Amino acid sequence: MTDEQFFERLRDDARPLRYEADDVALTRLAARVRERVAAEPTVAQLLARWFRPVAVSLATLALVATLSVQWYERNQQQPVTLDAAMSTDAVEISVDGNTYTLGQ
Amino acid sequence: MTYAATIYGGLVNGPLVLDRLIFAVQDEASITASDDPIERRAIDAVKNGDAGSYDVLVSKYMKRVVSIAWGIVRNATDAEDLAQEAFVKAFQTIGRFRSGEPFGPWIYRIVTNLSLDALKHRTRFRHEEISEAEPAARRDRADLPAMANELSRRIDDAIESLPGMQRIVARLSLVEQFEHGEIARMMGLTEGTVRSHLSIARGKLMEKLADLYD
Repeated sequence: MTDEQFFERLRDDARPLRYEADDVALTRLAARVRERVAAEPTVAQLLARWFRPVAVSLATLALVATLSVQWYERNQQQPVTLDAAMSTDAVEISVDGNTYTLGQ
Repeated sequence: MTYAATIYGGLVNGPLVLDRLIFAVQDEASITASDDPIERRAIDAVKNGDAGSYDVLVSKYMKRVVSIAWGIVRNATDAEDLAQEAFVKAFQTIGRFRSGEPFGPWIYRIVTNLSLDALKHRTRFRHEEISEAEPAARRDRADLPAMANELSRRIDDAIESLPGMQRIVARLSLVEQFEHGEIARMMGLTEGTVRSHLSIARGKLMEKLADLYD
């Protein structure tokens, strides 16, 4: 018998040595896998779990920044009070053809 | 927690195994595309978030996956745990699995890696059991109905007497009937290394079993 023939016959005879789990075990295993897989988050869910708080934080930051800028700009554009105007601008008053300048 | 689950928790999450799994997915390109439309549809559905479709794949491959694990760890409980972990791992990484490829080689590779890790772990941390390996192995033989047969017992004895990788390669080739290329992919070895292990194993088996085939 050649090496090849020996090995082929050995292969045939070794095949029954395959472990065959019974149907009960297979059903139990399938149920366990099903249970664990159902509890397992998908990639999309995992990503969502990471990105959701990041997105919320970024949105909050953007909102705070927008409000701050608006508040700052509104403060910058507030109308000049009389005191402020007087301290910066000269006021000219004309009486009987004479012009008097105040505030300089 | 079972032994295999402990091993899984301790070792399988390591970067080495993750690398192997990624490599496994990339390596499947050389395997012919799946010609089972039901399997292909199930994989696509699972990828699209339908976990229920995974049942199709579990039902189709569970028996073989348990058998592969058993052949390596020689313990029914551990083999079932490893098979379960393999399917969960495959589900977790299914996004990286290329559509159209057969699922079998991929899950076989995952379970082989998990089983080899379990075996390494056992060798490293359970010397006391290894020293009593003979009676433990014999007890596990009760899992095989074929053991009633003298011929099967002799062949199983001969394969189990082979050292480390030779034993696993011989088992995957003779019992599970995988081709060299498939074994190489499953074990993360080159085809040449598999051939070499198998050639040495073949010589030893011929020596031990010559009288059976005179």
